[in-house]
Parts: sequence; C-alpha cells; structure tokens
Amino acid sequence: MALERPIRTDPLPITQGDAQPARPPRGLSSWKNWIGLVPFFAFAIFFLFLPSFSIVYRSFESPQHTFTFDNIIAIFTERNLVNAYKASLTVSLITAAGGALFGFLLAYAVILGGLPRSLRTFMTTFSGVASNFAGVPLAFAFIATIGNAGLITRWLESAMGFDIHQTGFTIYNIWGLSIVYMYFQFPLMVLIMAPALDGLRREWREACENLGGTAFHYWRFIALPVLLPSLLGTAILLFGNAFGAYATAYAFSGSFINLVTILIGAQIQGDVLYNPGLGNALALGMVMIMGFCMAGYAWLQQRTARWIR
Amino acid sequence: MRRRASVWAWVILVLGLLYFFIPLIATFEFSLRAIKGRYTFEAYRLAFMDPAFVRNFGYSLMWCVLTIIVSLALVVPAAYWVHLRLPRLRPVVEFVTLMPFVVPAVVLTFGLIRLYGSPPIVLIGSPVLLIAGYVVLSLPYMYRSVDTGLRAIDVRTLTEAALSLGAGWGTILLRVIFPNLRVALLSGIFLTFAIVMGEFTFASLLSWPAFGPYMEEIGAMRAYTPQALALVSFALTWGSIGIIQWLGRGAPGQGQIAGAR
Amino acid sequence: MTIDKRFSRRDFLKISAVTGAGALLAACGPQATPTAVMPDLTSGNSIPLDQLLEAAKSEGSLTTIALPHDWANYGEMIETYKSKYGLAVNELNPDAGSADELEAIRANKDSKGPQAPDVIDVGIAHTKTAMADGLVAPYRVSTWDTIPMKDPDGYWWAEYYGALVFEVIKPDIANTPQDWEDLLKPEYKGKVAMAGDVLKSNQSVQTVLAAGISRAGGLGDTVESAVEAAKAGLEFWAEMVSAGNFIPVIADQGKIAQGETPIVMEWDYLALANRDALAGNPELDIVVPASGVIAGPYAGGISAFAPHPYAARLWWEFVMSDEGQLLYLKGYAHPIRYTDMAARGVIPEEMAAKLPPAENYAKAVFATVDQLKETGTYITENWRKVVYGE
Repeated sequence: MALERPIRTDPLPITQGDAQPARPPRGLSSWKNWIGLVPFFAFAIFFLFLPSFSIVYRSFESPQHTFTFDNIIAIFTERNLVNAYKASLTVSLITAAGGALFGFLLAYAVILGGLPRSLRTFMTTFSGVASNFAGVPLAFAFIATIGNAGLITRWLESAMGFDIHQTGFTIYNIWGLSIVYMYFQFPLMVLIMAPALDGLRREWREACENLGGTAFHYWRFIALPVLLPSLLGTAILLFGNAFGAYATAYAFSGSFINLVTILIGAQIQGDVLYNPGLGNALALGMVMIMGFCMAGYAWLQQRTARWIR
Repeated sequence: MRRRASVWAWVILVLGLLYFFIPLIATFEFSLRAIKGRYTFEAYRLAFMDPAFVRNFGYSLMWCVLTIIVSLALVVPAAYWVHLRLPRLRPVVEFVTLMPFVVPAVVLTFGLIRLYGSPPIVLIGSPVLLIAGYVVLSLPYMYRSVDTGLRAIDVRTLTEAALSLGAGWGTILLRVIFPNLRVALLSGIFLTFAIVMGEFTFASLLSWPAFGPYMEEIGAMRAYTPQALALVSFALTWGSIGIIQWLGRGAPGQGQIAGAR
Repeated sequence: MTIDKRFSRRDFLKISAVTGAGALLAACGPQATPTAVMPDLTSGNSIPLDQLLEAAKSEGSLTTIALPHDWANYGEMIETYKSKYGLAVNELNPDAGSADELEAIRANKDSKGPQAPDVIDVGIAHTKTAMADGLVAPYRVSTWDTIPMKDPDGYWWAEYYGALVFEVIKPDIANTPQDWEDLLKPEYKGKVAMAGDVLKSNQSVQTVLAAGISRAGGLGDTVESAVEAAKAGLEFWAEMVSAGNFIPVIADQGKIAQGETPIVMEWDYLALANRDALAGNPELDIVVPASGVIAGPYAGGISAFAPHPYAARLWWEFVMSDEGQLLYLKGYAHPIRYTDMAARGVIPEEMAAKLPPAENYAKAVFATVDQLKETGTYITENWRKVVYGE
C-alpha cells in the first residue's frame, strides 16, 4: 500500500508514513511495548552475547591459565599467523569481487535479460540451495571435477591429450579454493540482488530512452547509482562470508592452505595443538574484521531501502 | 513488456549453469560406481538401509522442530513489536540478528560449554544448549524472512482492526498476524530446516546425535554412500524450496537470503 | 452431629506430634537398602567379575566417546559388550579427537547427564594431560600384569597399536613404493597424501615422525634424539612439497575410491579396513615401509567423573581380556597383549594370517610418552616454517 509522499531520506518510509494514527501512539515509556521483545533480548544476551564475550577475555589466557598479552602480540608478529590473515583476506577479496561481478551478471541475465520467466524461478530456487551447499560435499564435488583424477581432468587428457598437471596446475591453492567458494558466493549475490534489480522501475528506462539516452546513459546515470549501495553492501557480505568459511576450506585442504578459521579450529580442537587462548585471540581478530563488514553491509542496506519497496 | 532476450543473457546463463552443474554431475557419476565395472544405484540403497541413518535423521528432525518452535516464539513477537511500536529499536534488533554471522560456531560452542557447564547454571546434560545454538544460527534468516513478510502486509491496520473488534494480543498474533505471514514464515522455516539438518559443529562438540555429524562420520569411513547422501539431501532441499516458491506465488514481498560456509 | 468446636491447641499439638513421630520412625526404618555394599573404586584394584557385573547391571548403561565402528572393529566390540552383559551403550561423537574426549570430560565434570563419557580411548601423548588435569581414575584390570605398556599406578594402559603403512591404489600406480625415500621419486608427482591434518591429527604427526625415523635411522632413546628424528621428518616433507609429490588434501575412503589420492599413509588397521570395504573397487596394496615403521598405540582410561563407574570398569575388563583383544585383531589392529596371547597359543591361525607378516612389524618403533609429546609439539610448531617456508 503505497503512500503518495516524496521519497524520504530516512530508511523506513512505511512505518514513518503510517505514523499519522487516529490516537496518539504509545511512547517508549510504556512497558507493555517491551514484552514482546523481552524473550528475544534475554535469549540473545544469555546464548549469544555472553558466550561471545568469552572470546574477548579468553584471548588473554595462556595455556597455563594465566593472564597474558602474548596471544594478541603473536597475531601481529608471528609470520605463520600474519600469513593466515593475509591468505584469508586474499581469498575473501577474490571471491567477493568475482562473486559480486558474475553473480550480478547472472542476476541481471535472469531478471532483466529477457529470458523466460521460469528460468528466473529456477535460478532463485537453485540459488537458495546452492548458497547452503558447503563443507565436505562441496569440496568433494570440485575435487571430483578438477582434481588430479577429476572428471574434467581426465576428459582433457583423453579427449585433448592435454595433461593439465604437467603445467604445474593444481587446485590446492588459494585460487582453487576461490573457485570452490564461488559455488556459494554467486547464489548469495543472485538472491540478494534480485529484489534490488526488481526495484529498477522500467519507467526510469523508458524515461531515459524518451530523453534520447542510450543503454550506456541509463546504466551510468540511473541504474548503477541506484544499485551501487546494494552492490557494495552485498560484496561486503560476500567478503565476510568467505572470511568466515571453515567447513569447506577444511574439507578441501585441511590446514595445508593456511587460513585463519583453520588455525582457530586447530587451536581449539584437535589432537595436537592446544592453545585456546591463541584460538580465541585469532577469533577476536576475525570477529573485528567481520564486524566491520557487517556494519558496512547494514549501513549500505539502509541506504538502498529508499529505492526498494 | 518483455524485451527480447539478448545473446549475452543466454551466454551468462549457460556459463553459470555449467559451473553449477558439472561438479554435481561429477559427484553423481562417482556415486554410481559403487560396484566395479558398471553403473548402479547400490550406494543409494546402502545409504538408506543403514539404521544409523534413520536414527540420526530422526534426531535431527526433532531438533528442527524444537528449533523452529523456539525461533518463531522469539522472533515473531519481537519483529512484530519493533514494526508496530518501536521502530527505533530496529537497528539494535538487526545488529543482534547479524551477530551470528560474525562469531564463529566453534568459539560460540566453547563459550556456551564454559558458561553453562558448571554451577550456578548447568545446562549441559540436556539438549538446551544444542537448541540454543541452532536458534542462534537460524536467527538471521528467520528474522529477515519475518521482517520482509511484515513489511509486505499492513500490520498497523490489521492490528487496529483486530483490537477494535476486541481481540487480545494472543489472538492478534496467532489468528491474525501468523496466517498473513504464512509465506514468509514458511520461507524462514525451510531455511531453518536446511541449516539445522546440515549443521555439524554444535552437534559434534555438544555430543548429541544428529544428521550433520553422521554425514561427517560416514564421509570419513565410507566411499560412495556419503556422496549419494549428499546429492539426495541437495535434491530434497531444492524440492522443499521449490515448494515454498510454489506456495508463495503471487504473495507479496518474498526475498530470501541464505549463506553458507 | 456437632463437631466438637473445642479443638484446642493442645489437641492440635498432640496430633502433630504423633504424625511427626510416625513420619520420623518411617524414615528411620529399614528402607530399600542396596543388596550389597558397592565395590571399592578408589584403590584401583581389580574388582572380581561377579561383583563388578552386578554393580554394572545396577547402573544399566555405559557412555563411550570417539569410537567409530570401522576403527579397529569397535563396532563389533560394542555390540558384543551389549549382548554379553545386557547393558546399553550410549555412543557419543565418533568423530572426536583425543583432545575433544578430554574436553568432554572437563565440560561434564558437574553433570552426570548423557553427554558425560565414562571411558576414553586417546593417543598416548594425551595421557600426560589427562593425568595432570585429574581427568582419569585408576583401575588395574585382571590382566594387568600382561600389559606391556601402561601407567604403573593404573591411570592408563595401552589397548592396541598399529603401524603406519602405505596404502596404494594398485591400478593407478605402476611401481609400488617400498620405503619412504621412494616416495620422492618423480613418478609419484602429485600422488602422495596424508590421511589427516598435521595440525589436528595425531596420525599425521606420526606420519612426519615416521619419515624422520627412516631418514635419521632410528628414534633413539632420548627426547633429544627423537626431536632430531622429527627434524629429519620435516625436511623430508619439505622436499616432498617442493618436488610436487605431496597433494595437500586430507585423504579419506571416498577420495581413495575416486582416485584422487593414489598413495596414502594410514594406520594399518584403517588401511586394511578400507581394503575390505572397497572390496577391489579399486584394488588396494598395503605396504609396510622397509624402514621408519612407527607403532601408534592408543591408551584407554576411565573418566574420574564417570556417571557409570562400574560399567566403565566392566568395559575394560572385557576389552583387555583375550576375547576383547581378539576382536581388535579381527579389526586388523595389534592387541597390546599380542605377545602374551601368542605365547599361550590363543591366537587363531587364520586371524594372524590376515595381517601383514610379523617380520615387518619387528622393526616397529614404540616411542615413549615424553618423546611423543615433544616431537608432536616440535612438528606442529615447525610444520609451516620448514615445509612451507613461512
């Protein structure tokens, strides 16, 4: 139910617009407003905030259960750990950029590319599943495709006589892992950009064409500026998603590719290393990076809510 | 107005489909090789005949139901109240729902164990911690689905109409709001279902039987059957999401998000 | 009929006194006493089987952890325990590593719920932590004297061991490697993998150490010599990585079946179980390396906070008995009491024949707990530095 009002700059046109009721709305002071929220916040405090807070204070715990800054210092000084952060950041950047780019193209193709409507439904339902396909099955699927004995590898060898491993190619590095990560990055992009692309009113395109603009003008001056916050926000979400990925990376190459999540797992679980303080410190670093990502995403999403109804 | 499909759209679509389906085909081809020399569905037969499969699947279904109930009970009133009365709390609530993305599951589980493993509050002997963990994981998706649904219907008018007819809050929530949120709720429920069924870390560390650790165990100890099971669960999830889409056709405001690690 | 309204305070007090006294007497009277005094748990001495059985039956069930059914035939072991003694077994988390098992005990100290394990099966190096943190209770089984590797006070004992072997996919590999140095040959480029992650899995750490033992010519008796061997092992694997022979993927049965990892280093009982499970699809060759054969014993213990202490002790009486040890052998693991049992002639011929020949195991090296701990730390701390130059 749209209201005939000028587009407001604050992010919630619906509820703000409805704030013209017959009787005055209850203020925040009325305690009855909070009942519905009490269980939610109580749950969040007991089962989310308090345990998460343990990351912070346990970062300062040594294996002998004393207070120490060693863990935090190690993150910045030990080459092993610095490289883990570098590798994680690299993979996240690659998959965020690549995922955003091709994911956007894919979303555009099925939504605005003039393809049959059923393909859009197909793509969105498939994306819903594929964005959750991760861990051991995903790793295996790619190993079975382009690994040493993979389907494509063997086909290339038999049909084209081309042994890709002679060229020194291997999927067990950052680039191979990025290819695997794209499997849930592309769909995530498609799912989130779909509503944004829907929000591109065709009137704008028509108006542009009426004024003599070309497709280039349309994109450069209308569509991209509108979509940019959404694009960037989703790219940041993809970045965070890749940074926090654990199951897939571990199933793919264990700790042989050095990533932050893998190191955390090795310190907190497993048979050999056991320095939960260091694990928590690594997690703290990760939480801060992810925190920035989520904050950026949330801020950009607020800005796009203007255009999406 | 349907524009003529551009060549580029088809090219991109085909590339995308190739990328998504070739690995699935590779897995499928492998799963058919359980018996030497020929293609067979033996791996699938063995997968379903395993009694541990039924047991673990059953447990996970139970965890799903409990998680969904708790999740709905927490999220729907909260989203409703924020929408109706406390829009200024929206950023706070959204921050809470984004937190599960930020905190790694391993660390959260250990935090839960430390906090609630010893007196004064001992929760460790019961599945409370497991359900709490699952609810935390599915919180972002459930909240987003409900929120999207609430935005699409006119909550204020519905509430005022119900109030003017003398309904209490319970009636409003259960008999007015819930039915109108049918599609959004279904979407949140199915996403929660997908997450809980596949979840591994919480169930494994808290030592409760579940489908995720079962898949992990047979993945480590067997060949062919784990791949068969992985494909089956992929197909089942796809089918479920297809059902939501079909049920929700024409209903306003469905945007779903999901994310994997 | 009129009720006597003069229900005085004295009457009330009288009635209360009578009721109270009656209740008190009833409480002090003979209750459902236990049929017998429960056997002593603190001394660590072996409990006679009949008493133990009765006490265990009163508990009704046992909680185990980290016992996959396909690992050294634990599946049959658990089923036999269940049917023989009529107890239920609650199996936790088969995927757990040794550290996870100790963590499960720690986490459930104050809870006697179904998440608290009664018995554990950990890598030898973890026994030190288990004892230092007070997580295990002492118990000497009836066959105690014939166990060659144990803690003198009864806090842990070895149950079985295996040797690290090469598991080779026959159709994919023309020349089966016979020793560690063979693995460096160019024909094995991109073909060698480990079955676990070096930072997380005991098995992978032992893989590095075994290679080092082969290179250094032995483990030596001291911790320092063991660390030298570990150093040599890391150098070996650094060469494997730079030659491109090492595939940085964790091998499992699926990847072996698919052909991704033609040569894998695993414990022999796991490799032989794989061979059986795959049943020729593909065909596997199991080779004990000519040098650098490391034995990987696993140790058993009882949780100090076990909810079912008697069922736990009954489990160990069973596992360490001839019957239990033979079940390990059926799963291709060497029972720790093998020599004693062989001397008494209780090992069936066919079972012994299924394992690789005994001579191959003659060179198996048993490291001490201290050596294992030090080399484990050394290897995990230096893995990325030496092998990847970080």
